[in-house]
Amino acid sequence: MHHDKKVTEIHHDKKFSVVNPSKMCQPMGAVQALLGLKNSMPLIHGSQGCSTYMRFQLTRHFREPIEVASTSMNEKTVIYGGEYNLMKALKNITEKQSPSIIAVASSCLTETIGDDMAGIIRKFEDANPDKELPVIVPISTPSYTESHVEGYNRTIKALVENLTTLTAPNGKVNIITGFLSPADVGEVKEILNDLNLEGIILTDTSENLDAPLSESALNLYDGGTTVGQLEDTANSLGTIALSKHADSAGEFLEKKFGIKLISGPLPLGLENTDSFIRSACQLADLEIPENIEKDRGRLMDAMVDAHSYNYHRKMAIFGDPDFVSSMTRFTSEMGMIPTVVCTGAKSKRFTEDIETISKEKECSPVTLAGGDLYDMHEAIKKVGADILIGNSYGASIADEENIPLFRAGFPIFDRLGAQRISTLGYRGGIDFVDRLTNTILDFYYDEAGYEIVEEEDMIIEDQKFAEEEI
Amino acid sequence: MEPKLEPIVETFKSREKHMCVKGEGLSIPVCDKASLPGTVTQRTCVYGGARIVLMPITDSIHLVHGPIGCAACTWDIRGSKSSREDLYKKGCSTDLGEKDIVFGGEKKLFETVIELHKLYNPGAIFVYATCVAGVIGDDIKAVCKKAEEVTGCRVIPVQSEGFQDHNKTKGHWIGCDALLDHVIGTKEPEETTPFDINVVGEFNVAGDFWGFKPLLEEMGVNIISTITGDSHVEEIAQAHRAKLNIVQCQKSSNYLAKKMEKKYGIPSIKVNFFGLEQTVNSLREIADFFGDPEMIERTEKIIESGLAEVEHKTDEYRERLQGKTVALYVGGNKAWSLVRAFEELGMDVMMSGTKNGIREDYERIKEAVRDGTIIVDDANSTELARLLKKYRPNLLISGAKEKYIALKLGVPFCDFNHDRISAFAGFNGFVSFAKEVDASVSSPVFDLTFTSLRG
Repeated sequence: MHHDKKVTEIHHDKKFSVVNPSKMCQPMGAVQALLGLKNSMPLIHGSQGCSTYMRFQLTRHFREPIEVASTSMNEKTVIYGGEYNLMKALKNITEKQSPSIIAVASSCLTETIGDDMAGIIRKFEDANPDKELPVIVPISTPSYTESHVEGYNRTIKALVENLTTLTAPNGKVNIITGFLSPADVGEVKEILNDLNLEGIILTDTSENLDAPLSESALNLYDGGTTVGQLEDTANSLGTIALSKHADSAGEFLEKKFGIKLISGPLPLGLENTDSFIRSACQLADLEIPENIEKDRGRLMDAMVDAHSYNYHRKMAIFGDPDFVSSMTRFTSEMGMIPTVVCTGAKSKRFTEDIETISKEKECSPVTLAGGDLYDMHEAIKKVGADILIGNSYGASIADEENIPLFRAGFPIFDRLGAQRISTLGYRGGIDFVDRLTNTILDFYYDEAGYEIVEEEDMIIEDQKFAEEEI
Repeated sequence: MEPKLEPIVETFKSREKHMCVKGEGLSIPVCDKASLPGTVTQRTCVYGGARIVLMPITDSIHLVHGPIGCAACTWDIRGSKSSREDLYKKGCSTDLGEKDIVFGGEKKLFETVIELHKLYNPGAIFVYATCVAGVIGDDIKAVCKKAEEVTGCRVIPVQSEGFQDHNKTKGHWIGCDALLDHVIGTKEPEETTPFDINVVGEFNVAGDFWGFKPLLEEMGVNIISTITGDSHVEEIAQAHRAKLNIVQCQKSSNYLAKKMEKKYGIPSIKVNFFGLEQTVNSLREIADFFGDPEMIERTEKIIESGLAEVEHKTDEYRERLQGKTVALYVGGNKAWSLVRAFEELGMDVMMSGTKNGIREDYERIKEAVRDGTIIVDDANSTELARLLKKYRPNLLISGAKEKYIALKLGVPFCDFNHDRISAFAGFNGFVSFAKEVDASVSSPVFDLTFTSLRG
């Protein structure tokens, strides 16, 4: 049955240009995924700028060294093809770094000139029959289609597709995380631990991207998902993709090995976390443990404690599609009103999710799928917002609209602690509710705890009072 | 005969001669070579080089013609400040998709330029070619010309396909060429003075330009344009009428000064406003160039009061910094221009290097540093980590990508690139410089870095 479309559309003069993007390109998504692999070396087959600028964005977000090698394509190699440079890169990495796995992501340049990466990798392997070579996985990530979100998806799929082998059932559950903060990945692992369920995390950035101060942080990652775990994915009880946009590996496993796939939602907020816990328990045939019920109770407690400050505050939210849709649901659960929701990816699943939430929660946010920050700002000007949730690129909009920016997502380069921002699960939810509400208290309430009343309203009140006096 | 030398740190055979020690045989490292494929190079692409030169033009739209990533990773990263517009901070892209790759992106580019002009009415629209725009053969020159005719706004092609060269130096030149071919000399100033100058290669990072602009104005020179920090395109258009170009970042902009000398007969002098001594020298050289006795007198007064104002203000810092060692690993210019400033703080520059240096850059470094200083070219991240581990300087000066390599090793770090916090140029800038260096070198947190609970 069709229901009336509750989602408000926005039309304006801008049709061709992107102004202040809210997405990045596919190879960025590939790198985001590859940083969660143990003893690995990500390699971008393209110009040096691709790896260097991505490293720049990632390093200033995580405040960790980020190592991504480049095949350093130049004019000559563009004309004759990238085979020489890719072969050379594989040789240099193998000899000097000896990783267990090299994952090679393509770029717009090498896709356009038509380099056959899989063929070149085979040639390299054939040329070195006596050497112990790392596992080498090609990933096609043409920058000119879709966005970093799809780059992440393709990377997980390529890793699983290339490596997985059916052996014996392992009783584990595959979790495709999507691009999360290390703290959020850590929370997912904690939840599995609470359930006494073993997971294969695709991929596990929790230690790699929040490393202690130590020289060893400069070596290839000591933590993260192993090649062995990737191989073992076909033997799991099932796959849960926390990101609906990163579930292709799960689809592959389901089709080829009959491994059940549950796609989304991101366990952010009360209802979405409920879904995740139920999915995990259903896959592994588990009872929901008491301590998880207690954590859930604490989140409800936090939401109740905060409700009066949050009620009917208008929210504008931007970032990756699963984050935005689940944040839309969560803030609605808290009694807030999402007015503008924006993601850079042109995603039908995203608009469907927002439609469902809008219907359930009786809200009608301006929905921008494939929007940029210009579009979002125009929408905010039109429908208003009391708080903006998103990455550091939202700072100038928040400043112009005189509203606070609650930083979450990627990249965050103007505040510390991006790697420790925690929003997932009941515990991350508690953290989020507290911090968001405190942001509201800081901004909209005075030091004595009274809501700050706009000056204009005050004057009108004063006049009324004066008139009554007369 | 070339003396046999031990490699400075363990690396690829072909990379060994990219590092040397001044005064020990090889004093200029091998340089200007392609990075080895498969290493984590600290270099970027030609597009990056062009963009960094032009991006500080504040009243202009900088439109990246390519897939979204090239714009998405590089918008608003220059750290360059503006006293007027902030159009230059917008991240604009044609967001090329698969269809555009197959059928060409020219039409989309044209429509995008028209649309951005309507939205912002900018001083100019710079259109940057990326790798893929070059490979599919989009004629961005023709599109820019047509769009310029339609809009009446300057639409300037920048032929900066990323893969053109092994480092961004060529990108700097391409950025300069865009100005030479399309901007400089296209507008006549309303009035001229005998003391008209351009400030070339000053990008106003963290507001550096504002640290010495008042000094220049007080001297009595008339600044026609800065190329390109805190500038408007119409100012740069009049740059050909200057009597002198002063060049601050020689790495990126000496090329432009040389070409302007050839085309317009404008002589140039190299200046350096980092450090007291260099600031004094630079002011005197400018005054000497004009040879005007009143200006020379004014300049001496400015120097006197400038030095008096900061006297003793750095004493506290210098006391703590005395004898501390510093390693520079930067894009280019700062590898030599900061050396004296550190020496004025009582510090010892024990290593200097660049990511994109060409031979003339290393000649400058060699001139600036003492015997025994390590000079490195294009050190990849592994080499950099090994250098820091082996020599343990008290401070590394570099950019964002190097920051956490140093910090994880417990080596204090200052970002003197785009993410700098305060302005360092001029007399007062030197005090900020001393303060920021001290805040890293002398922080007690670094004494804790090698402690552990279990001993």
